[in-house]
Amino acid sequence: MKLIFAGILAGLMATTAAKADEMVFTSWGGTTQEAQTKSWAEPFAASSGIKVLQDGPTDYGKLKAMVDAKNVTWDVVDVEMDFAIKAAKDGLLEPIDFAVVPKADLDPRFSNEHAVGSFYYSFVLAWNKGAVSGEPASWADMFDTKKFPGKRTFYKWSAPGVIEIALLADGVPADKLYPLDLERAFKKLDTIKSDIVWWGGGAESQQLIASGEAAFGQLWNGRVFALEKEGADVGVSWNQNLTAADVLVVPKGAKNKDAAMKFLAAAASPTGQAKFAEASGYAPINTKAKAEMPADVVKGLPDAHVDGQINLDMNYWAEHRDEIATRWYAWQAK
Amino acid sequence: MSVEARQGIAITRVPAGLGGLVPALALIGLFFVVPVLALLLRSVTDPAPGLQNYAALLGDGTYARVFFNTFLVALVVTIVTVLVAFPVAWMLAIMPPALASILFGIIILSMWTNLLTRTYAWMVLLQRTGVINRALMAVGIIDQPLPLINNLTGVTIGMVYIMLPFMILPLVGSLRAIDPMTLRAAALCGASPLAAFRRILLPLSLPGIAAGGLMVFVMSLGYFVTPALLGGTSNMMLAEMIAQMIQSLLNWGLGSAAAFILLIVTMALYALQLRLVGAKRTAGGV
Repeated sequence: MKLIFAGILAGLMATTAAKADEMVFTSWGGTTQEAQTKSWAEPFAASSGIKVLQDGPTDYGKLKAMVDAKNVTWDVVDVEMDFAIKAAKDGLLEPIDFAVVPKADLDPRFSNEHAVGSFYYSFVLAWNKGAVSGEPASWADMFDTKKFPGKRTFYKWSAPGVIEIALLADGVPADKLYPLDLERAFKKLDTIKSDIVWWGGGAESQQLIASGEAAFGQLWNGRVFALEKEGADVGVSWNQNLTAADVLVVPKGAKNKDAAMKFLAAAASPTGQAKFAEASGYAPINTKAKAEMPADVVKGLPDAHVDGQINLDMNYWAEHRDEIATRWYAWQAK
Repeated sequence: MSVEARQGIAITRVPAGLGGLVPALALIGLFFVVPVLALLLRSVTDPAPGLQNYAALLGDGTYARVFFNTFLVALVVTIVTVLVAFPVAWMLAIMPPALASILFGIIILSMWTNLLTRTYAWMVLLQRTGVINRALMAVGIIDQPLPLINNLTGVTIGMVYIMLPFMILPLVGSLRAIDPMTLRAAALCGASPLAAFRRILLPLSLPGIAAGGLMVFVMSLGYFVTPALLGGTSNMMLAEMIAQMIQSLLNWGLGSAAAFILLIVTMALYALQLRLVGAKRTAGGV
């Protein structure tokens, strides 16, 4: 019995001692986190001697619970930008130490005082070539059931994307999207409601398009990239591609804040960003990263499609999250 | 101290009083009562003290609709499960034991398979381009794919399949307890098979149906994965909405209130059922 206690005690002391050169990185799992581990965590551990433990998937409820309970076990977390803005306002995040994380080359669209861009992605229009005759060219075509019959798939949750797509399809100019005219957007969505199949996660979106269950869809570009790599017969239109970002944040009260800041510096560096972009098909948030990437990779990224690219307004969404969500679910449930 | 010695003490203490129940009650208190109280507390204090979360839930048409959907889906699933499970359970009850144990094995095996895998399998089967629709179109029974998924049909099929073992097992128990002689006696007295079923088999198997039905109904109320994947947005169930409130919108007050209402309604139904079935069983026994 004594021996067991001694063993447990020694174990506890060992973990406490090891804490100084350990940190926990949390992301969404799957291929994204794998790419982050390979591109950031492993090289960072090798160069700094700080061991990076992985956890996931990201769960905003859990993050809030940790901060509220003052028992934060995550040091760096990959979250969506609009969440980061709201979380910073609610006091859930540590400010970024820009003395450690060089700010100069970071794309200002995707970083702020409490968040450093992780990667950015675009919502693109993708379709199953076998299920569609012709080539849909714009979001307006997604709403034209006469010209393009078949089911279309959109992101199920209240998040930046679908509202903007409906407004663009209805003829709202890109620079007049905000403040969002919800009335008009839902009216437009009403016109195709019975033709919509919703996807709740990336894998589901791929399954729907690849099987032809939905002829078209609003997909994350990285998911289309993966479908193409697997040889699925998909078409993609970058016309009016909508950008949004994931960002890395440090929860308030993180135990290894110093290590976390150093990790952020490595993740946001040109090399870290270039490697991750190459592995995932998502775009780097460091403006110097492109120079370190093969030309054919750059071609496939949202970076290569800045013409007609539209930035989803994360500040607007962070501000109006609850209000939009209420309307969104009410409309969906109707 | 050895395990046997400790058990010995517990056994000698229980008859003396309720002392032996203390550890169990403490566990229930710590892991059930305390969290539920915390939930209740949060629902009336977050973001501000008051009943505004309940007012929002009960006053808003969307939430009311989600509550209604939740109970509708649970009810439909329970009824269909009873209808499908009954013949299977009857077969299991009268089969030779060796054969029955093989069939049991198959049923249990399906329970042990990952829930997500089984739900995804139904997606593949039910979708417009899925196996079922393709087969029906190939033989010319239909010329347009049937809408089997992203609606109540899909949720019902998927959930009934997953709930079946929970209905079959208690049902087999109560069917096996029925003396086959009672049915033979009924036939000898001139009862048609239908009358024998309605007046003997069904009433005697009621405890099994009630136990299985309650289990399926209550489990269905809180179901998450299957309705989320096989249902459409117009039949969103409460569990999905609560998850959304807690995880994404961080509206914990509202999520707690919704969870608490679900808990209260479930407990009320449970109490009601205990009363009804309990009373009926006693009457039947006398």
